[in-house]
Amino acid sequence: MRFSAFMVKNVVRRRTRALLTSFGLAISVGAMVALLSVSDRFKAATLESFRGRGVDLVVIAAGTPDQLNSELDEALAERIRAIPGVQAVGAGLIELIEVQRGKNSSSVLVQGWPLDNPAFRALKILEGRTLQPGDVHKILLGRTQAENLGKKVGDTVIVQKVPFEVIGIYESFTVYENGGMVLLLHELQELSARQGSVTGFSVVCDNVANKEQLVQQVKAAIEALPNATKKRSGLSAMATQDYVDSMALLKVATAMAWIVSAVAMIIGVIGVLNTMIMSILERVREIGILRAVGWPRRRIISMVLGESVLLSFSGAVLGVFGAIVVVKVLVLLPQVNGFIDGKMSLIAIAQGIGITVLIGLIGGAYPAIRAAQLTPTEALRHE
Amino acid sequence: MNEAIPSEYLMFADSVCKRYPDGNVQALHEVSVGIRPGEFLAIMGPSGSGKSTLLNLLGALDRPDAGEVYFRGEPLSKCRNLDQFRARQIGFVFQSFFLLPTLTACENVQIPMFEGPRLTDVQRVRRAEELLELVGMSHRRHHRPMQLSIGERQRVALARALANDPPLLLADEPTGNLDSQTAADIMDLLVTLQRDREMAMVIVTHSPEIGERADRLVRLRDGRIEEDRLLRLDEPVLAGR
Repeated sequence: MRFSAFMVKNVVRRRTRALLTSFGLAISVGAMVALLSVSDRFKAATLESFRGRGVDLVVIAAGTPDQLNSELDEALAERIRAIPGVQAVGAGLIELIEVQRGKNSSSVLVQGWPLDNPAFRALKILEGRTLQPGDVHKILLGRTQAENLGKKVGDTVIVQKVPFEVIGIYESFTVYENGGMVLLLHELQELSARQGSVTGFSVVCDNVANKEQLVQQVKAAIEALPNATKKRSGLSAMATQDYVDSMALLKVATAMAWIVSAVAMIIGVIGVLNTMIMSILERVREIGILRAVGWPRRRIISMVLGESVLLSFSGAVLGVFGAIVVVKVLVLLPQVNGFIDGKMSLIAIAQGIGITVLIGLIGGAYPAIRAAQLTPTEALRHE
Repeated sequence: MNEAIPSEYLMFADSVCKRYPDGNVQALHEVSVGIRPGEFLAIMGPSGSGKSTLLNLLGALDRPDAGEVYFRGEPLSKCRNLDQFRARQIGFVFQSFFLLPTLTACENVQIPMFEGPRLTDVQRVRRAEELLELVGMSHRRHHRPMQLSIGERQRVALARALANDPPLLLADEPTGNLDSQTAADIMDLLVTLQRDREMAMVIVTHSPEIGERADRLVRLRDGRIEEDRLLRLDEPVLAGR
């Protein structure tokens, strides 16, 4: 018999209690892993939407938390394009807009691009065609959004109470573009009453040997751009990773995930602590025997901590499995599947398991010390 | 090595005293008793006379308030690892067996081996099976304590006590929970094993029959030795261990 087998037998001797503790932990860990995973995957998708197009800098209005809250003069695109080292500039307007879904409506991420935006090239048209000059009230639907709305090419979509004809269905490499829609910039500006404005620019720099230095130079040049009144335009140009890291929405989502994780951790520690204390109190005589036959205190501590970690690890495995199921189910909901892709973040899984092992160690520490402090004679006399 | 302790003793309790603070009871008053290698010593006396307390001190389960316990001439108070001492030098048999309920007979016997000489998992299992064979329990090695009779449980406990081949076996009322026939069988087994393995054995008992089978009988009363009598004229095994 291995020492580990002995610990397993101790854990499963009270099956119901062990299962209930594991399930309790599984719910905590599952919530933690699901939230962290969704937050991580959304961040990764946002980053991918820039990097997949070779974007080096994201330009938004200084002081705004992200593109959704930014407003810039569309004409700045030309001035940015004129900066030495800039290869391409893509102007874009992003809005969360009400789209009619049967009798209801839901918020959909809609992007408005001018026809010269290089982002069009990254869209794979699955049905129909892309947008062209002269198109009026025409719209492209992402693959997932088309499925959600049950629309195909030629159908009509009501966006902000205005009918648009579906001219094409595309597939992008990012989940939320697949769950979104694209129309011409001036039409989205009209819909959102933001004529002449965009929410940001994507900047691609020339491929040179020392590109990092060039990107820094372009960044400085953009941020120093004067506007029509010769004052600073108030532009903020950020490397894609910096931009994603600074997005308020993602920060809030990540913070929420960690708050839930912290609460889950406290609940988990209390659960494991309670279970292990009960387990130790029931086994005082057995611990006395182990001490009498020569088991040192450190082996008793290892045994109790091992049992505690085993218990929490089983909860972690159940929780991760539960989180995978929950995320897969969430993706089936039309309200959600345009924003998350259903894949799990390995980092979130590792964090969930790591935190649970920590829960096991913290929750088991006090019972382990108590068990180790028992002297053989007092433990053997215990009734 | 303490020169004052006669070298023939495997273990020697020298003027040990023990007081239990909770009941303010002086359990032992300057008790001195020695056990030779291979000797069978019975400790008798009425309840509360200090028998189990003395056994606990001999087994390093407890420390004396005064006096010293020597093992092979070395004081236990100077022993840096009493856990290892218990694991390798002492085998314990208890009245209530104290087998671990979740483990099979074979697994229970392996418990002390974790702190004995280093063995692989396979070697541990093999040794446990040999010991179970020795106590006539190999056919029940995969049974848990609850599936065993009272006598069988004590046999398994005995096999566990022999796990690390200790030179000294301490038994606290080993037949106290058994019917007379089973008690006689267990005593036969204990004595046979003690003789065959040339092991010293100390048994605390209320039973005069068991006391009569010992090489030496120590009788305690009120924490003092009332009688220390040699029952066998033939010398115990001295050379062995």
